[in-house]
Amino acid sequence: MTSASFITSDEETRMNKGLPPVVVETRSLRKTYFGKIDVPVLFGVDFRIRKEEFVAIVGQSGSGKSTLLNLLGALDTPTGGTVIINGVDISTLDEDELAYFRSDQVGFIFQFHYLLDEFSCLENALLPITIRHGDASEEDQARVIELLRRVGLGSRIHHRPEEMSGGENQRCAIVRALANAPKIVLADEPTGNLDSRSGQEVFRLMREMNRESGVAFVMITHDDRLAQAADRILLIEDGLVHEISKEEHRKRVASLVP
Amino acid sequence: MNVLLRTFVPRRFRFETQLALRHLLSGGGQTVLTVSAVAAGVIIVIFITSLIFGLQDRLTELLTDAIPHVTITVEEPEPRPLARITDGSELSSSRIEQQAPQLKFIDNWPHVVETVRALPNVRAVAPVVSGQAFVSKGANPIGTAVVGADPDLQNVITPVTKDLISGKYLGLRSDEIVIDAELAEDLDVTTGERIRVTSGTNASDSFTVAGIYSRGQGRGSAYVTLRTGQSLFGYGTSVNVVYVKLINIYEADSVADRIMALLPYEAKSWTREFPQFLSSLQVQTASAYLISAFSLIASGFAIAAVLIVSVLQKSKQIGILKSMGTRRRQILRVFILEGLGVAIVGSLLGLVVGVTIVLLLSLFDQPVTRIGQTPEQLFPVRILPFYLGLAMIAAIISTVVAAVLPARRAAKMNPVDVMR
Ligand SMILES: Nc1ncnc2c1ncn2[C@@H]1O[C@H](COP(=O)(O)OP(=O)(O)O)[C@@H](O)[C@H]1O
Ligand SMILES: [Mg+2]
Repeated sequence: MTSASFITSDEETRMNKGLPPVVVETRSLRKTYFGKIDVPVLFGVDFRIRKEEFVAIVGQSGSGKSTLLNLLGALDTPTGGTVIINGVDISTLDEDELAYFRSDQVGFIFQFHYLLDEFSCLENALLPITIRHGDASEEDQARVIELLRRVGLGSRIHHRPEEMSGGENQRCAIVRALANAPKIVLADEPTGNLDSRSGQEVFRLMREMNRESGVAFVMITHDDRLAQAADRILLIEDGLVHEISKEEHRKRVASLVP
Repeated sequence: MNVLLRTFVPRRFRFETQLALRHLLSGGGQTVLTVSAVAAGVIIVIFITSLIFGLQDRLTELLTDAIPHVTITVEEPEPRPLARITDGSELSSSRIEQQAPQLKFIDNWPHVVETVRALPNVRAVAPVVSGQAFVSKGANPIGTAVVGADPDLQNVITPVTKDLISGKYLGLRSDEIVIDAELAEDLDVTTGERIRVTSGTNASDSFTVAGIYSRGQGRGSAYVTLRTGQSLFGYGTSVNVVYVKLINIYEADSVADRIMALLPYEAKSWTREFPQFLSSLQVQTASAYLISAFSLIASGFAIAAVLIVSVLQKSKQIGILKSMGTRRRQILRVFILEGLGVAIVGSLLGLVVGVTIVLLLSLFDQPVTRIGQTPEQLFPVRILPFYLGLAMIAAIISTVVAAVLPARRAAKMNPVDVMR
């Protein structure tokens, strides 16, 4: 088990050589939920994610995986430390800039698809564009329809979420996350609510999109096989993030199963 | 729908407009509820205003129809202090006796009529001789007011023709008289019979009853021609009063003021003679406004309650929208626009239903109580475009205000809190 820790600038240049650019970086990221009882969740997290990477985040339930993802997507503010997305420290952005940042750089996929019941599959997938521009251009529409075809929803574009299966809705949510061509897609247990076949299909599509467009994916998962299929695995344990090899991950999984 | 959106809504508001529309269209019961609440408010306002203001119009018409709107007379001589009269240096008592009846004359009445007729808003001006007289047929003289005036003019001031039970008024000859039904009954005369009229100056003459009228409200005056009146009361070519009928009765005060400024006579508006009538109208108007305001406030609260529930139901949606970069003010706009949509549809619906109800009510007639009476509306409702517009605008404003609170609540929602 190696901890992604402080990196010197010499090392940095060496490591960056020939590698894709860093799209996500955290520095001593801390988060405590303050309330009747304060809940410290992250104690100082440092890691980097580069373009083209598909990173799986694993850890026990309640370990802080969603907390971390929300911080990366600027849905929540850290107690300390910084999140740098595409070179920008997002803690310096105001409310409007954050909204713009989210629509420009980040795509979210959640355990539940959260598609709008009132809109068709295509309209839902176009939302990141319509939110920003009021409506979608012909080219945007063509591009998103093409994406929908790619995930097998070509015949479903005018259907409402209630007329589609869970897997189809989640695939639509993937297209929605990609509609604005973000730098990074944050997926919080995207297959958690699906049967294993649809789950695998959804994962396969995310992986495909990742390989094709180079957009970085950060996926929280409880499915060990999916974690194994990622490029890297980050484990959250005791409020810290540890990079583990697939080997280590396999061993840990094996040790848990009697 | 999308085409409409693209044509009428500026691009930067299209997302909000579209989402608000979709919410309303898929809102089912909630949309129906809020639209009905707005409509109900508008219906109540339309109903109350057309009923109360209709009733006021009817009352005012009934009152002012039968009376002159402005009455021009010679100024009453100021009651003189006793000392002045008794010290004898200025006036003798005999001069006062002489003076009093003389002052009542308006001898240059053609000038008065001409001046008043030239004023705006004046419908008719009638020079009149009015006085008290005794009427008799054989024995038992009965006192009555007598009005000597040109029938065509007088008929505009205090309509007689429309209340005639028998005979005629227009085209009255100098030896003819029109009396009211009660007097006719007391005298036991009918049209065509002759009666004797004796004035305070003891002039006496015999008249043929040309017409009998009834206004159904106490004893009215007896009508003769202007000439006859003048000779009956010894006015020569003068008159003692000039009656004015206006087009807009509510302008009576200002017309009276104008006349006083232009002429050396006293001009009294009908409103000065019926101040309690006017103040009761004001109370009615105030209650109409109060009821309207309360019903709009009530519908506003109902709408706010429903919208708050709908915002809470949509919190996950608001969360995902925010995670996709929707700004606070966009969320705010979505729910304000929803309120606006509800307000517009609801107030249009309220307008249609309200006007229909009022029109249906206006079809009911009062049972006829007097013979010859034309049936009157049971509900004297009146559709007043001004109040229709006011009702709609007030409803739209109160609905949008009611939408602000839920909308702000939605805009403040935090995606992390609502999507867990
Ligand atoms: N808004 C919050 N307020 C207080 N505690 C929270 C809040 N969100 C999460 N937590 C707590 O923080 C810890 C980490 O939660 P979370 O990041 O959701 O875990 P995971 O996604 O790994 O299951 C949990 O103990 C959880 O109860
Ligand atoms: Mg979680």
